[in-house]
Amino acid sequence: MSDVTTKELRIVGFLCNWCSYGGADTAGVARAKQPTDLRIIRVPCSGRVDPLFIVRALFLGADGVLVSGCHPRDCHYSTGNFYARRRLEVLKQFLPILGIDSRRFEYTWVSASEGQRWQHVVTTFTEQIHSLGAAPKFMDVEPKEFKLGARVSTPILPLGAGQDQPLKELKTAIKEALPKLEVVIGWQQGRDPLHAVPLFMRKAEDVDKLIWGPCNVHNVATYLREYQGHKVGLVLKACDARSVIELLQENLASREDLTLFSLPCQGTFDYGRVEQCIGRYTQLSDVQFTQSAATVMVDGTSKTLPYAEYMQSKCLRCTSRLPKLVDISFGTDPTEDAKDARESAESLPPELALVESLSLEERMAFWRASMERCIRCGACRNSCPMCICRDHCISDTRDPHFMTQADTFLEKLFFQVIHALHLAGRCTECGECQRSCPLGIPILALRQKLNRIISELFAGYQAGSDPSQVPPLLCYAVEEPKIKEREW
Amino acid sequence: MRIGVFICHCGSNIGGTVDCAEVAKRAAAMPDVVYATDPMYTCAEPGQAAIEEAIHTHALDGVVVASCSPRMHEPTFRRTVERAGLNPFMFEMANIREHVSWIGKDVELNTHKATELVGMAVEKLRRNVPLHSQEFPVIKRVLVIGGGVAGIQAALDCADGGLDVVLVEREATIGGKMAKLDKTFPTVDCSACILGPKMVDCAQHPKITLYAQSEVEDIGGYVGNFQVKIKKRATYVDWHKCTGCGTCMEKCPKKDVPDRFNEGVAPTKAITIAFPQAIPKKAVINPDYCRQLTQGKCGVCAKVCPTKAIQYDMVDEIVTEEVGAIVAATGYDLVDWHVYQEYGGGRYPDVITSLAYERLMNASGPTGGHIVRPSDGREPKTIVFVQCVGSRDPSIGRPGCSGFCCMYTAKQAILTKEHIPDSKSYVFYMDIRAAGKMYDEFTRRAMEEYGTDYIRGRVSMIYPDGQGQLTVLGMDTLLGQQIEIKADLVVLAVGIEASHGAKELAEKLRISYDSAGFFLESHVKLKPVETNTAGVFVAGVCQGTKDIPASVAQGSACAAKVLGLLAKDTLSSNPQIASVNTLRCVVCGKCVQTCPFGAIKQVEERGRPQIRVIETMCQGCGLCTSTCPQGAIQLAHATDNQILAEVNALCQM
Repeated sequence: MSDVTTKELRIVGFLCNWCSYGGADTAGVARAKQPTDLRIIRVPCSGRVDPLFIVRALFLGADGVLVSGCHPRDCHYSTGNFYARRRLEVLKQFLPILGIDSRRFEYTWVSASEGQRWQHVVTTFTEQIHSLGAAPKFMDVEPKEFKLGARVSTPILPLGAGQDQPLKELKTAIKEALPKLEVVIGWQQGRDPLHAVPLFMRKAEDVDKLIWGPCNVHNVATYLREYQGHKVGLVLKACDARSVIELLQENLASREDLTLFSLPCQGTFDYGRVEQCIGRYTQLSDVQFTQSAATVMVDGTSKTLPYAEYMQSKCLRCTSRLPKLVDISFGTDPTEDAKDARESAESLPPELALVESLSLEERMAFWRASMERCIRCGACRNSCPMCICRDHCISDTRDPHFMTQADTFLEKLFFQVIHALHLAGRCTECGECQRSCPLGIPILALRQKLNRIISELFAGYQAGSDPSQVPPLLCYAVEEPKIKEREW
Repeated sequence: MRIGVFICHCGSNIGGTVDCAEVAKRAAAMPDVVYATDPMYTCAEPGQAAIEEAIHTHALDGVVVASCSPRMHEPTFRRTVERAGLNPFMFEMANIREHVSWIGKDVELNTHKATELVGMAVEKLRRNVPLHSQEFPVIKRVLVIGGGVAGIQAALDCADGGLDVVLVEREATIGGKMAKLDKTFPTVDCSACILGPKMVDCAQHPKITLYAQSEVEDIGGYVGNFQVKIKKRATYVDWHKCTGCGTCMEKCPKKDVPDRFNEGVAPTKAITIAFPQAIPKKAVINPDYCRQLTQGKCGVCAKVCPTKAIQYDMVDEIVTEEVGAIVAATGYDLVDWHVYQEYGGGRYPDVITSLAYERLMNASGPTGGHIVRPSDGREPKTIVFVQCVGSRDPSIGRPGCSGFCCMYTAKQAILTKEHIPDSKSYVFYMDIRAAGKMYDEFTRRAMEEYGTDYIRGRVSMIYPDGQGQLTVLGMDTLLGQQIEIKADLVVLAVGIEASHGAKELAEKLRISYDSAGFFLESHVKLKPVETNTAGVFVAGVCQGTKDIPASVAQGSACAAKVLGLLAKDTLSSNPQIASVNTLRCVVCGKCVQTCPFGAIKQVEERGRPQIRVIETMCQGCGLCTSTCPQGAIQLAHATDNQILAEVNALCQM
């Protein structure tokens, strides 16, 4: 390595072949003097630039990344840069949650005739990177744990109690529908009355095992991909239904194959907290669900789990207790009574609030500490209802070789970025990734951040709200009211 | 793999600021590189021969050339390695001229950067695979958009070469701007006399289908197989019956319709034939002014038409044509000069554009060729010509020269003197740009033989003096003094921009355009009529300012390109297209949804859904590759692994 690199910084450029690469050529032909730091990778179109290339470059130590394409409306491939604009803007706003200064990544438009403009862009961006200095490296940051803040304790509605009659009616309805369905998926009691496991109902006697209550944490929509093209019934919580709607939006399920059952949901347990309370035990019995808490006998000691303290945080902020899409439901919708919950829905979820309260450097330390705990078990991926690739995840292959098998926190964090970016505009925030993480790593923060970026950029868009909507990163608008063009 | 690296000096172009020998030395240590050298001129014949020889001598199976932009010589070197028996895609280029040696002078930094770019190219090449084209049939027809002189020339040359031509013209007649002109410089030929016969040839040629009063609505497909939707705007006259006798125009009671063909010099009727030599010579009703169409009562033209050709209920019609190539020759329009409030911004009737002045001088124009003032019909005696109105003016975003105004202004000054021998003409100019054959001699004649006063300077203000004349205030920068001229008529040489609607057309054609709307050619010097979209060519002023001979030359150049392209029965497809790894694909359909060309389809194969790329429709943008979460659809020659290799190379060096 030559000593000149000490004054140069590492800047990677992705330029589309037709406009910006030509613009850089035009600047060269005009002998337009430019800083030497930038290295240009020629791509056919800015739409070819996978945001993961940019994250990869930044993780590998690039101090800055610049993407430049044809001006909007002037794409050689007519619409490639419209998609690029959405993806790159989302990425730019996403980088800070990882601890990366968003000014280290810029995207802009330069046409083949704009040699002068290219000179200006390179000079300005290079100066910007030099003013930021060499990028801090994850490797150099000391890992540091940060604890989740105290959660808002919201009064919660009576739960469990009062659902006995609707559950009876639901079981009858499922039994009636079962002959026309291959399977109906719900929950049954697991190893003890405080834990549920998914239930696959094929015969009438299976239906009697169905339970409904705060232990039904699993998102049964996750199983839907396995049954594509089959007649399936699903018993859904309101949040699970959003995953079904998102799958319908992406044409990954067809409505006529599905029969959707539901009861009003009033929240499910955060088992991380529950386990903190009851600790390790050998015998658990006598679970009573009352209006405001569950009491449980653990190894002879009675423990009380007030719902307000032991619900998942998503349940505390849930605004719809009945699914937006359902065929058969019983019981009354308690949504009207849940106004206080609706107010707190505006507040930041605790995982995101924690990361956002940190400085950029602390975020790097936080992610380093968090991801060093990751054991790469893949539970986050396998439990995700939107992880449609299943056995073909790009983290498990060398073609394409996005990830190495190296057991480093940076590779593990990169996997989380892959998962989050692949979910951008598709994630319904069901929280299964984080719930299933055996190490309790607050990875949901990345998805929560992306959802807020997308909602802000695309008119309050929420994945899984309307089966007729196209996910925002799979479409474009010619005019983007919320995406500001870079001034330079 | 055995890679050879060639670091080109390009004379002193690269060698002047990059230590090419050092780059070659460092390249020799890169993985799989077995041979590295630094020739003086790699693209020259001996340079290419040396590559071929090295491929044989060192049994190379991949070549990196570090030299100029791949946009310049990538095709050249691909042919070179192909001649030596390699697949043309086992070649990579590092751009160390435009992106290194020409933009900085620090030899040490440049050498370092050049080395890294070479390293990146080597890493990319290590992941290249041989790619092969496929053959597909072509449609031997061509679409020409725009019936000005460039489009006419292209159409005639293509038709004479044996191709079927579809000529689409937005106006009711072909002829374009040239049909409006009186005489042409520098020979002072009658414009109609030289253009008219070509227009007639177009109309009579058995291989040319002419759609006048029509526009291109939509373009689909790809080189060799375009589908074009053409909107034939309603003329309200059945052109099969219309004989062009002109009775309707004579009898039409609506007399105050603005005349676009005559540049607003005089009003016209609601039913018109643009000018006596119009092709096709057919009447058109202006629906915005026709009393029958706007108020539902009148019907005079229908009564007087001897062939009963009037059809008030006619509607727009869409026709579809299939062609193998497209020539865009859409010409220009004038810049909106009304932004110049100091010249009256259009308030003074005797301040006119030079194009309106052409109509005033033209014997078939509304005044029968008599130069008169629009305000009072009097013959002007003092005429001021102002150059560069809306050209070379960055303040209105038009920094470029419009090219031909110096010449036609000299012509107009000469013709003015011939029309009105006792007149006096003044020309305010910035510089006289008369670089064509016999052009400088021509402007000199305007000055020396015809006594035109050329004043070097700009006009600051034009205003009416209250006594029927205009006061022109200007500056003579050679004498360093202010000038004030009492003028009867002021003619503004208004600058040009691409014709209105050119940008929308460019989007349909998927070609680029610049800030004035002019279409971008593929290479300024070496591919002046090609565009970056295969099968689409540009001729005439739509590509940039040029005069009639240059437009005609480009029309012929396009015809030569089209005839060459369509001479073959099949074309070979670009192998840089996407393909699906069906073992990885989960058929989520996201690529189908985002493909800009509809080139990806979901099909049933043995009862199972699969994703398939239609090879002839794929343009190689790679949007699908960056969309696919599994990385199951990969764009050849820009695969994820190839780009990741470049990223890794740059970030880990």
